Amino acid sequence: MIVTGKGGVGKTTVAAAVAQAAVAARRRVLLVEVATPGPLASVLDVPPLAGEPRHVREGLSAVALEESSALEDLVHQMMPLRLLSRRLLSSDTFRIIAAAVPGIIETALLARVIGWLEERDRRGRPLWDLVVLDSPASGHSVPLLATPRTLSGLATVGPLGAIVRKTSCWLSDPARTRALVVAIPEDWAIAEAVELRESLRDGLALPVARPVLNAVFPKRFSRTDETLLEEAEASGSIDPQLLEAGRYFIRRRAVAMEHGRTLRAATRERPLELPFVFSGSMTWEDLAPLAEALDPLLETA
Amino acid sequence: MTIDPRAPGLLAMVEDARVVVCLGPGGVGKTTSAAAIAVAAAMGGRRVAVLTVDPAARLKDALELPETPGTLHRVPLPGRAAGTLDAILLDAKGIFDELVRRLAPTPAVAERVLDNPVYQNVAGAFAGSDAYMALEQLLDIVESDDFDLVVVDTPPASHALELFDAPERILALLDSRALEYLGEPMRILGGASSRLARGLLSGVIAGLERMTGLSLLSDISALATDFGAVVPGFRERARAIRTLLRAGDTRYVLLAAPDPHATRDLVAFAREVARAGVGVDAVVVNRVLSFTLDDAARGATAHGSAAPSATASADRSAQRRRWSATLARHLVVCAKDLDTLRAAQAQVIAGLRDGLAAPTGGADRAPIWVELPALSPAPTTLDGIVALAHALAETRARSTTAA
Repeated sequence: MIVTGKGGVGKTTVAAAVAQAAVAARRRVLLVEVATPGPLASVLDVPPLAGEPRHVREGLSAVALEESSALEDLVHQMMPLRLLSRRLLSSDTFRIIAAAVPGIIETALLARVIGWLEERDRRGRPLWDLVVLDSPASGHSVPLLATPRTLSGLATVGPLGAIVRKTSCWLSDPARTRALVVAIPEDWAIAEAVELRESLRDGLALPVARPVLNAVFPKRFSRTDETLLEEAEASGSIDPQLLEAGRYFIRRRAVAMEHGRTLRAATRERPLELPFVFSGSMTWEDLAPLAEALDPLLETA
Repeated sequence: MTIDPRAPGLLAMVEDARVVVCLGPGGVGKTTSAAAIAVAAAMGGRRVAVLTVDPAARLKDALELPETPGTLHRVPLPGRAAGTLDAILLDAKGIFDELVRRLAPTPAVAERVLDNPVYQNVAGAFAGSDAYMALEQLLDIVESDDFDLVVVDTPPASHALELFDAPERILALLDSRALEYLGEPMRILGGASSRLARGLLSGVIAGLERMTGLSLLSDISALATDFGAVVPGFRERARAIRTLLRAGDTRYVLLAAPDPHATRDLVAFAREVARAGVGVDAVVVNRVLSFTLDDAARGATAHGSAAPSATASADRSAQRRRWSATLARHLVVCAKDLDTLRAAQAQVIAGLRDGLAAPTGGADRAPIWVELPALSPAPTTLDGIVALAHALAETRARSTTAA
C-alpha cells in the first residue's frame, strides 16, 4: 500500500492509520517512511526510525528508507567483494555516476522495499502481510514509482535487470499493490490529487484505490437545524458564540462536500472521507477513528 | 501576546527590501502569499518581479501567467497602481541549460554539453535541486537591474537547509576532485588497487551501461572535459548567490499553517533557517481559527445549558422542540471542538515562537508576526490577490516578545 498526495494533506497520518487498521485485522505490518527523518516516529512515539525494521508494537514494525543504505545494498548485490564495494560507495565520483544513471537511486529504494516484501520467517511465511509506504510528496513520488516502467525496456540482463523486472511486477499487480491518493478539502490539494491519480493509473499502470478525502468536518446539522438556527439568530435567542460555532461547522462541512463532489466527478469514484481531528496531539490512540474509516480499503491490499 | 500598533507591519519590512524570499513547508500558501506581497509592493509604486515555482492552476490564471515557464510576463494591475508587476514561472531545466550556454567558452562546447546524455540525466542532480535553480533565476533577475524588488517563492522543502546549502553544495562539488576523476573513473580506486578491482569496477559500469543504454564511460569523460570549461563561471555565480542570500536587504518571510500535527516539522524548519545564519524577518501564519470561547460560555457549554432556549417561532410542536434540543446539544459539541482546535493551534504558534526565539546569531530583532484567519478561500483572481495584499497591509503587527 503506497500512500501519496501533495505535501500537507496528512499522508503520514493516513499511512499510520492504514497500518493501525491492518494491525487491528491481525495482519503483520511494516510501516516504511521515505523521507528521513520524518514525522512518523513522533506519531508512533518512538525514537527516530532506523534503516532496519524495528518492532514498534504488537503486529507493527517501522523502518526508514534511506538512499545511502539502499544504494549500498544494491552495490553489494552487484559487487561480491565488500571491501571494494565500500570503497566505491565512499567516493564522490561514484555518487555522481550514480546520479547520472537515470533511476538508479529509485531502483535501489524500491528494491529494498521489495526485499522486505519477500522476507520470510522460519516457517517460510512472509514476514509482513502488509507493507505501508509513506511516500514522498507527489512531486517526488511519481519519478520514484515511474522508474521500473522507464527502465524495464532498457534493463534486460544481469542482476539489475532481474531487480527491475521484479519491482515492475510487484507494482503493477492489483492483487498485491494499491496506491492511495490523499487530498484535503482545499482547491490545490484536490487538483493535485486528481492529477496524481491519473498519472499513477494511466501513466504508470499502478492499481489505485478509492481517493481519500482527509480532514472532513463532520455533519452535525440537518436542513431543519439550519432553518432553526436562522430563526434563533433572527430572534436573538441564541448565545452568539454557539451560533458562530454552528455556522463555522456548517460552512466547513459545505466546503468539504463541494470538494468531495469535485473529486468524485473527476475520478468517477466515491472518495473515502476521514474525519477532521480537533485535538492537538496525534498519537496512536488518536488515529483510531481514522483507522476505522479506512477499514474498507484494506480488503484489497 | 500583545498587539503593538507602533511595530512595523509586514509591508513596511518589504518597503526597503531588494529581495523577499518566502519560505515554508508545502501547502501553507507560500505561492499565494508571495504573489500578494508582490502585488502590494507594486501597488505602492515599486517595480516588482515575482518568481513562482509551482503555482496552482487558478493562481496561474489569476496572474495571467503564460504556459511557457522561464519568461517574465507583465501582470495587468487594477486601477491606480503606481508601480509595475512582472511574474515568471521557474523553469529549472531551462535556467541550467541557459547557464551552460552563457558560461561555455564557445557555442560548440555548450551544445556538446547540452547534447550529452549524462548531462541530460544529471543536470538536476548536479545542482542539488530546484532550489538552486530558483536562486540562479533570482540572481539573474536581480542582476538585470530592471526591478526594485524581487519576491521569490521557494520550492516546497521539508528542510530549509536545502535552499541555504545549495550554493555551498555546488561549490564543494566544483572544488572537490570529483570532476577530475570523472574524466577517468578508474581513479576512484586509487593507485593501489589491483587488476581484479579494476576489472570488477568495469563490470559494474558495464552493467549500468547495459541497464540504461548509455555509453556511460565515454559520455562521462566527454562531459567532464567540456564541463571543466564552464566550472569557473559556475563558481562565481554560486559565490554571488551566497552573498545575495545573506545581504542586508534580502528579507525572509516564513509561511506556516497552525496544523497541530505538523508542529515538530515547523519548529525544525524554523530552527534550520536560524542555523543557516539568516534571520526570519516576518512570520505569516495562515488559516488561524479566530473562534474563542469566553470563560462564561465555556462554563455554560460544560453544563450544556447554553441552548437556544426556544425558537421565537409560534410553532411549538413537540417535534420542533425535540429538534431544538438536539440542535442545542450539537451546537455545544461544535463549540467545544472548535475550542479544542483553537487551543491546539495556539500551542503550535507558541511552539513556533519558541523555535524562532532560540539563539540564532542572525536575527537581532523579533520577527514581524502576522496571523491570517481561517476560511479565507485561496484567491482565484487578481482581485482576490489584491484583497489578500490589503489584508496583509492591514494586519497589525504583533510583538513577539510578549508571550
